[in-house]
Amino acid sequence: MTVRVLSPASGSVVPLTAVPDPVFAKAMVGPGVAVEPDSAAADVVSPIDGVVVTLHPHAFVVAGPSGQAVLVHLGIDTVKMKGESFSLHVVKGESVRSGQPVIGWEPETVAAAGYSPICPVVALDAGSDALTGFAPDGPVAAGDPLFLWHP
Amino acid sequence: MADERAAKILAAIGGADNVIELEPCITRLRCELEDDSLVNEAALRALGVHGVVRMGAAVQIVVGPEADTIASDIEDLL
Repeated sequence: MTVRVLSPASGSVVPLTAVPDPVFAKAMVGPGVAVEPDSAAADVVSPIDGVVVTLHPHAFVVAGPSGQAVLVHLGIDTVKMKGESFSLHVVKGESVRSGQPVIGWEPETVAAAGYSPICPVVALDAGSDALTGFAPDGPVAAGDPLFLWHP
Repeated sequence: MADERAAKILAAIGGADNVIELEPCITRLRCELEDDSLVNEAALRALGVHGVVRMGAAVQIVVGPEADTIASDIEDLL
């Protein structure tokens, strides 16, 4: 099943290679794009319909019905913030719809703490040619389409 | 065999004695080790690890989405 992956945040679409972390920039866990978020406090939304299979304050994975799992990471090295300024709206194992709020956060607080608030959106373990229809670099709203993931 | 894979990953980073701290982060294991030079990248890749990234004092082992499970399996072995 082809999955339409939506932007989890409002901001600006940039290539994964712009992410200041080699694991994402080199697509080691899968291809995707990143969103440089607007600085105001906001809710990060689920990119697809599915089940929240992994949930941390600073990152989550939603797995769709045919097994495709999308990782959204809220900033880089933000595990070190120990959840400060993040609030969870769902629990692990919960079913969510695309566009549903998952985590509330404050990108400006992340930036003030010295971390990049950039959000990699990764199609976990997808082949490099499995993604098409990428949104162009530039402004994006939470819930706008980012790319298509073909099986 | 998840337990066996955890044991092999642990062996490939120098064994339990070499681990100061190990923390999972979604797709990777962040390892603070006594001696980074004991990390056997070839062995890790043979175990299906996506990559090994050295950042400052930590060695990050990119294992994929099952990092949390592998980390808790390794914790059981420490």
